[in-house]
Amino acid sequence: MKNFLAFIAVLVLGYMIVVSLDNNEAFPAYGEADVSSRVSQAFIDRTVTEDPGDIIFGQATNLESGPANIVTAIVADYRSFDTLGEVTVLFVSSLGVALLLGGKKQKRLELNFHPNFMLRVGSRALFGIILMTGVYIAIHGHLTPGGGFPGGAMIASSMLLLYLADDEFRAKIKGFKMLESFAGTAYVLIGLTGLLLGGYFLENLLDNGVIGDLFSAGIIPIVYVLIGLKVGSEISGIIDNFLTEEGV
Amino acid sequence: MLQYAAIAMLMLGLYGLLTQRNIIKIIVSINILEIGLNLFIVSVGYVEGGIAPILTSDFNNNGLVFVDPLPSALVLTAIVIGVGTTALGLALAKNIYQKYGTFEIDEMGEE
Amino acid sequence: MSAILLIAVPLLAAFISILFKKYAHYILVFVSFASVFALEYMDLGTITVGGFNAPFGIVLILDDYSLIALYIVNTLFFLVAILNCNEFKKVGSIMLVALAGLNGLLLTGDLFNLFVFLEVAGIAAYLITTTNKKPLATFNYLIQGTVGSSLYLLGLILLYAMFGTLNMADMASSIASSGYGAGVTAFPFLLMFIGFGVEAKLLPFNSWTKGILANSNRLTGPMIASVYAAAIGFVFGRLLTNVFVIEDTFLIIVTIILIFSVVAGEAMAYASTKVREILLYSSVAQAALVVVVFMSGFTGWAVYLIIGNAAAKLVLFLITNTATKQLGNDDVETFKGLFVNNKIIGLSFTAVTLSVIGLPMFLGFVTKMNILENMFVSGDYIWPAIILITSVVEGIYFIRLLLNLWYKENDLPEVKFEFVLKYVVVIIALLIMVFGVYTEPVQESADDLVAYSYIEGGNL
Repeated sequence: MKNFLAFIAVLVLGYMIVVSLDNNEAFPAYGEADVSSRVSQAFIDRTVTEDPGDIIFGQATNLESGPANIVTAIVADYRSFDTLGEVTVLFVSSLGVALLLGGKKQKRLELNFHPNFMLRVGSRALFGIILMTGVYIAIHGHLTPGGGFPGGAMIASSMLLLYLADDEFRAKIKGFKMLESFAGTAYVLIGLTGLLLGGYFLENLLDNGVIGDLFSAGIIPIVYVLIGLKVGSEISGIIDNFLTEEGV
Repeated sequence: MLQYAAIAMLMLGLYGLLTQRNIIKIIVSINILEIGLNLFIVSVGYVEGGIAPILTSDFNNNGLVFVDPLPSALVLTAIVIGVGTTALGLALAKNIYQKYGTFEIDEMGEE
Repeated sequence: MSAILLIAVPLLAAFISILFKKYAHYILVFVSFASVFALEYMDLGTITVGGFNAPFGIVLILDDYSLIALYIVNTLFFLVAILNCNEFKKVGSIMLVALAGLNGLLLTGDLFNLFVFLEVAGIAAYLITTTNKKPLATFNYLIQGTVGSSLYLLGLILLYAMFGTLNMADMASSIASSGYGAGVTAFPFLLMFIGFGVEAKLLPFNSWTKGILANSNRLTGPMIASVYAAAIGFVFGRLLTNVFVIEDTFLIIVTIILIFSVVAGEAMAYASTKVREILLYSSVAQAALVVVVFMSGFTGWAVYLIIGNAAAKLVLFLITNTATKQLGNDDVETFKGLFVNNKIIGLSFTAVTLSVIGLPMFLGFVTKMNILENMFVSGDYIWPAIILITSVVEGIYFIRLLLNLWYKENDLPEVKFEFVLKYVVVIIALLIMVFGVYTEPVQESADDLVAYSYIEGGNL
């Protein structure tokens, strides 16, 4: 009965949302969004500070924001401050997981099976490939879909593979902590350098280069690599906390 | 159409939150709700015939019709925040299990 | 000094502090003291992040309103931190993130950035409440907080789809100049209102509050009921005065929610027999009252209401939770006669409580009187009536509580309060009394604050 009532309530609510959106004259229908009337148009044309004219891939230089990937331009440049907050969210939740689950002495959680030789060797081989793919994605975040967050998640997934394929394996958590702290500190310091030298927190001080080059977009690849390292080490830390328990 | 699917998913998550009394199922419900929300955010930026907002050697200038890149950027942030809360929720679930020996809220007694 | 340091420095300290776990709580006390101190040297104005102007980039807004908010929240945070730093060493780094998140909430002028900081501060709050050792209550808080912020995000995205901007001031001016009626924005604003209502403890979105505050300790009680409540109140105020358009049906829905929240809060406080429950339900009612005053447009007095409440709840929860820890539970029966041997603490507790009720000679009276007066002048008679009636109810249960705490013949409860706590509590009580008698500065600054507003384009 309770479930049925909840079902009806949810159905009515959903219907009301759909109807109110349909009747809303200001809300654009699906597929008819007018990008040119939104702030996003300035991000596509890079016209926030000055008008650079047409942007041609592989030719345009000295743009206000250099990544060929416009989403990256927003995430890591125009709205980089949000990204700092986002990194902080992940940081504090990994701290929290460690606070909730971490004890003094820890050992691995026992798996239901004992991995054989092939699985151990095979997973080690795969580990390298996945790790390199993660690093690649993090470094190319300003050119292709991807970036620090997916790259970092991929780095962590390679750690997860090792944890699952080998019941003896434990990573050096101390190292993760150092990496996490270093990457976060470096991100804030890059921001403070911008404040000190350019007058704006997180200002892109380096040369933006030619749009589409690997070495372009100023601080963005650096920031994305830092984010990749930080996300990778944080999620690896979370994985370790979940796969260990108290005991000798 | 995608917008209706997203809202349906949001409502599905809400239904789960209202009816489920199991810690893990609640976490799953809230994830469904968040995915529905993310889908909705992306759908808001869709432009008919638009391409992914990345300049490449084939689509090489800013005069092309792109989908709105800002919602995609917002979704990236929202996803990461979702991951953070889910990890925390699961850690709490493990703590709760250690304390009560069950995931069913009704079996934990008065709190 | 740029106000961005108030966010960047605590974050930097948090990132570094995980390498020096043993000293995290010293870093916390130092940084939170430094941010109170540094407020003196902040330049008012709009701070652009990354060099991109509003509405394209993210801006932080430091005006008189956010400066007051920062002073209050940072000072309260510092007090809570210094009183608890030795007992709760483990959450040092998390508290640093909480400080950064709260400062970000108060400063930001961007609606999506607000969501990010809401999550930063929120997750830090969930973690701080894990020190209650009630994981189920914390889990409830986590789920409800996440649903709340998801609703806020949904409302925000609807607004973005319609008006194409995320900046608060730009959003407000786009809405005003678009020519659409209030019907267009009512639904997204309702979603955002509910989302914030969860954090601000408005009934009926606040079922997490009881689990958290009724089991609170010396850290979580003051932290959630005082520091976080003040911060959320200030942010809510900014949204209500500068962004939200509340008209027609939406106004009716919101009014019903608020009336329900004030009345039910006071009624539940009246019915409670545990000290902490009385306090928490009273703060539910007060939170709704703050929203009412903001909606009526008396920004200055709403600010004083928040300040008075935050200071009062800090004192009340500190004393109650210290006593609860030593006595084992917080039934009014157990607490009977608590103040017979602790006269100083008792007097401060009494002064603060009387201020919350709104008796003359205290800050609460000045605030309540002026709110009522302003409401009468603007022709509103419903809210003054509700406020007066609930004040009477409030008076009854608080004075009943005070009588219980002061009078008992024998078998008195033994509670020791440490020196620093006495100091803090007495000073806050004295301040409340001083500004209750010497009201001129309060009157003047409150009238000044009403006038603040943005200039077009998101810049101050």
